[in-house]
Amino acid sequence: MKGNVIKYDRDNIDTDVIIPGQYLKVHDYAELATHAMEGLDPDFHSKVKEGDFILSGKNFGSGSSREHAPIALSHSGIKAVLALSFARIFYRNSVDGAFLLPIEIGQDAYDGISDGDELDIDISTNEIQNITKNQTYKMKPFSEIIGKIIAAGGLFKYKPDQD
Amino acid sequence: MGKTLFEKIWDSHIVVEKQNSPSLIYIDRHLVHEVTSPQAFDGLRMNNRKVRRPDLTIATMDHNVPTTDRSLPILDQTSSVQIQTLEKNCKDFGIKLFGINSPNQGIVHVIGPQLGITLPGSTIVCGDSHTSTHGAFGALALGIGTSDVEHVLASQTMWLEKPKPFEIRVEGKRKNPHAVTAKDIVLSIIKNIGTGGGTGTIIEYRGEGISDLSMEQRMTICNMSIEAGARAGLIAPDEKTFDYLRDREYTPKNYESLVDSWKENLKSDSDATFEKQFTLHIDDIAPQVSWGTNPGMTCDVTESIPTPDEFSKGDVNQKKGAEKALDYMDLESGTAIEDIKIDRVFIGSCTNARLEDLIEASKVIKGQKISPHVKAMVVPGSQMVKKQAEEMGLDKIFINANFEWREAGCSMCLGMNPDILSPGERCASTSNRNFEGRQGTGGRTHLVSPVMAAAAAINGHFVDVRKMDLS
Repeated sequence: MKGNVIKYDRDNIDTDVIIPGQYLKVHDYAELATHAMEGLDPDFHSKVKEGDFILSGKNFGSGSSREHAPIALSHSGIKAVLALSFARIFYRNSVDGAFLLPIEIGQDAYDGISDGDELDIDISTNEIQNITKNQTYKMKPFSEIIGKIIAAGGLFKYKPDQD
Repeated sequence: MGKTLFEKIWDSHIVVEKQNSPSLIYIDRHLVHEVTSPQAFDGLRMNNRKVRRPDLTIATMDHNVPTTDRSLPILDQTSSVQIQTLEKNCKDFGIKLFGINSPNQGIVHVIGPQLGITLPGSTIVCGDSHTSTHGAFGALALGIGTSDVEHVLASQTMWLEKPKPFEIRVEGKRKNPHAVTAKDIVLSIIKNIGTGGGTGTIIEYRGEGISDLSMEQRMTICNMSIEAGARAGLIAPDEKTFDYLRDREYTPKNYESLVDSWKENLKSDSDATFEKQFTLHIDDIAPQVSWGTNPGMTCDVTESIPTPDEFSKGDVNQKKGAEKALDYMDLESGTAIEDIKIDRVFIGSCTNARLEDLIEASKVIKGQKISPHVKAMVVPGSQMVKKQAEEMGLDKIFINANFEWREAGCSMCLGMNPDILSPGERCASTSNRNFEGRQGTGGRTHLVSPVMAAAAAINGHFVDVRKMDLS
């Protein structure tokens, strides 16, 4: 999975800046996407490309349980969010609907990757290759169940093993 | 080995449990509101599914509703559609709805306990992060997203990896419990453990500082567990809990026998182990005021805004966050909190809009007028709170002081309805989140208790309410 990084060099990116409250009435996902990250970066919609990744610090997606947050990012083209840590409801929502991959990274990847870098992420080997800088980092592997839900394409497509 | 209260509730709700895998947990109560449910009901329709237990599902509308005259049509078309959609969904799927004109309408986390729907030892979910509020009654109460709302509607269960128990002890006695409130306790906790301090845990609040609190104050504490990153927060039930829930509209008929079993079972064993532990001593804590853009960026009302270096204690990203927060808030390090002037005051939200909150705030403003440059509003947490407050004459106290007295809803806590800050406006707010743009694009939020908000309204800036006579 290849794409370029949009880096937000801060912790605690909350769901209110990912999709501000006034847009929670919007049911059209394409329209919702035009307001993604509006609370933090009004240029986001004009610069984001299909397949891009977001990189940020600790506690990404803190705050509200609004599933609109991963939906707005996903429909903007974001395939994965790489962060030092995630707020749990955001993480769960991202996986439940298979909207995007919430990838936990280490400080080396956080420090090493710059805004605009091209990455190749391989979740089968848990490796993130920085093509721009010719560096490789390890990502935290998905737990078995999360991996299965992601592979199935979301909570409603996942069938628990009958063992 | 002993079990924690959380583990006891967890174990009694397991439907499926396997090694190294999430468990399927039975859900006793599902609270539904208009914003996070429409897609879930659409999903049910698409797959020809029914709501498995409509009798355990309760709906109201709170996030979006106007807080002005409800005999008038709703001007915002998209809000109106969302409200009508919930009405239709509840009708189609046989779910009890407290609609916009119901005397029981209100913020979902205020009406659940008020109606006796929230019960000790139960599992409760709602498509709202502040579902943690219900933990004040010894319930395991989790905020969920829309996919999980659909899953619970369809199956009355959800998959969950078992969180870790986190003990937070609140020890000591506040010298002035009218001035130093539950809000100040929970803001102090978050200030200390950080907005990610509770990630992946269920907090159990314990100690004298918790048992001394009323049920409404305990709800304020549990409400903000999510702001510390916790999955939920809870408090073991006691006589105050049982008294609060007795004789409510939906209190179960066999209530007294339930109380007997709750008394026996709903407490952590003395030899239970917690994965994490934190203790807050409250003898000398001060009223708290947030200065930044997350609830951890908070200090005493008597302090000055810290420098990013002082705040971050060496953490580079925390420092950057503090710099950005000060820029957004248009504040400078070294400014005394009491010198911060405010434009707006919001007394409301699932954190602090219950009857006791309004009573306490009314004591501060009785016989006074708000500062001429301040606009202030009270949005009761439910229509029932509003009615009770009006029976006590609190509405007149607020209105005479030039507060607006509104209908119940989430209102300016999250800026979904017309109750928003204008860009650059600074607000003393009793809500739970001071995120950028939370109360309106460019709006600046300072989180405080109801008495601190009321005192700020009168003075036009923050003041230490410990100097006032609030008894």
